[in-house]
Amino acid sequence: MSNPRVRIRNVQHDRVNFVLEGVDIGFANSLRRVVMADIPTVAIDIVEIETNTTVLADEFIAHRLGMIPLISTNCDEGMRYTRDCTCLSNCKYCSVVLYLDVSCQEGGTMDITSDHLQVVGYNSGYRFTSGPAYSDPASDGGEELSKRGDGFGNPVGKDDDSVPPVLITKIRKGQGLKLKCVARKGIAKEHAKWSPCSAVSFEYDPHNKLRHTSYWFESDERAEWPLSENAKEEEPPRDDMPFDFNAKPEKFYFEVETTGALSPKEVIMKVTTNSG
Amino acid sequence: MNAINRYELFVLEDGEKPVEIIEDTKIPNAVTIKIFKQDHTLASMVRSELLATPCVLFAGYKVPHPLEPAFVLKIQTDGSQPPVQVLENVCTSLIATFSKLADQFKREFSARELDIQVEEDPYGPVGTNSTSGAGVWGAGNRRDYLDF
Repeated sequence: MSNPRVRIRNVQHDRVNFVLEGVDIGFANSLRRVVMADIPTVAIDIVEIETNTTVLADEFIAHRLGMIPLISTNCDEGMRYTRDCTCLSNCKYCSVVLYLDVSCQEGGTMDITSDHLQVVGYNSGYRFTSGPAYSDPASDGGEELSKRGDGFGNPVGKDDDSVPPVLITKIRKGQGLKLKCVARKGIAKEHAKWSPCSAVSFEYDPHNKLRHTSYWFESDERAEWPLSENAKEEEPPRDDMPFDFNAKPEKFYFEVETTGALSPKEVIMKVTTNSG
Repeated sequence: MNAINRYELFVLEDGEKPVEIIEDTKIPNAVTIKIFKQDHTLASMVRSELLATPCVLFAGYKVPHPLEPAFVLKIQTDGSQPPVQVLENVCTSLIATFSKLADQFKREFSARELDIQVEEDPYGPVGTNSTSGAGVWGAGNRRDYLDF
C-alpha cells in the first residue's frame, strides 16, 4: 500500500493547486481522470422551445443552455439519475426545471444571459403550455431534497453581481425567447457538460529527467523550452549526471479549476471518498 | 435515433455481471479477467498497483474494442499466491490508499480554510487575482468575444 502525501499550494473559490507525492503515475493519472469525468453535477439536458424569434436556431440555443454551469452542491446525494428514478418522465427528485421568458420591447440590442433562467419551484404551480413543470407529482418520497445545497440548480453566479453571467444570445426589438429546460444529473462520460471542471492541469518531472518526452528544438533546447513554475520544486539535473533508467516519477503537480458548479474542495473530497 | 444511451458505457445493465474470470489453461498461475463497464481509469490504476506487487510476474490490460465498454486484465504470479487473490489484495490496498488520500486532503483543506476567506474579500471574485491569469474576463470587464 502506498502512502500518499498531499500539499495544497493554493486554494481559491474556483480552483485548487496541489502537489501529490508517494503514489505511482497510474494512480495519479486515474485521479486526474476521475476529477474530470466521474463526478456528478446537474446540467440542462432537455429544452422545450415555445417561442424562438432570435437569430439563433433552436438547437444552437439548446446546446448553449446545456453548457451553462448550474449550482450542484451535494448533487451526488441530493438528486437521482433519471434512469434510476421510479417516475415516468421528470419529477422533483430527478430533475430541476428552469424557464426563460425574455422579449425585447425597446430599440438597441439586449443580452439574454444565464441570469434570465429561473428555477421553477415544486410548489410554484407554474404551468408551461405543454403542461406542468414537473410531470409527476413526485414518486415515492426520498430524503434527496433536504440534502441539496442553497440555490441548487440555479446558474452559477446568478445572485452575484460581481460574476458576469453567461451570454446565451442577443436580441433586438420585437424578438423574444421562451423555453422550458429540464436539468438532470449526469457525469462527463455521458456528455462533457456534466464535468465539474473547466480545466485540470497535470504535470510531473518538469526537468524531463526521466526522458518521458523528447523536445523538438531549433538550436538550443534549454532556451526554447522554458521551465514551468513547478520546476522550482525539484532539483535541476546536473549536466554530468548519468541517466537513471530505473527512476520513477514521484511528484505530481495538479491544478483543478472548476466551472463553479461544485467547489474545488467538494470535487476533490468526492473523488477520494467514493471513487470507483 | 437508434443510438444506444450514452450511460450504457458506464452503468451495468440489470443482472449484468461486473467481472468475468477466465482461468488460463496453458500458462501456470495465470488468469484473464474481463471487467465490464470500466475503462482506463480503473484499468491503469489496478495494473500499475499489480506491477508493484513482488509476486506478480506479469500484469497487463487492454481495451479490446473502443466501442465496447470493457477491459481485459491478464495476471501471472510466481505461484506463491493465486492471481485472483493478488488482485483482491491490490484492490483493497487501493481503497485504503484512497481513504488515506482523503484524510490528507481533509487536513490540508481545513488548514487552508482561513486563506480562502482572507483572500476573497479584498480581491473579489474570479479572475481578479493575478495568479489565475483570468483577469481580462473579470468582473469589471463585461465585454466578451461577440463584442468586437
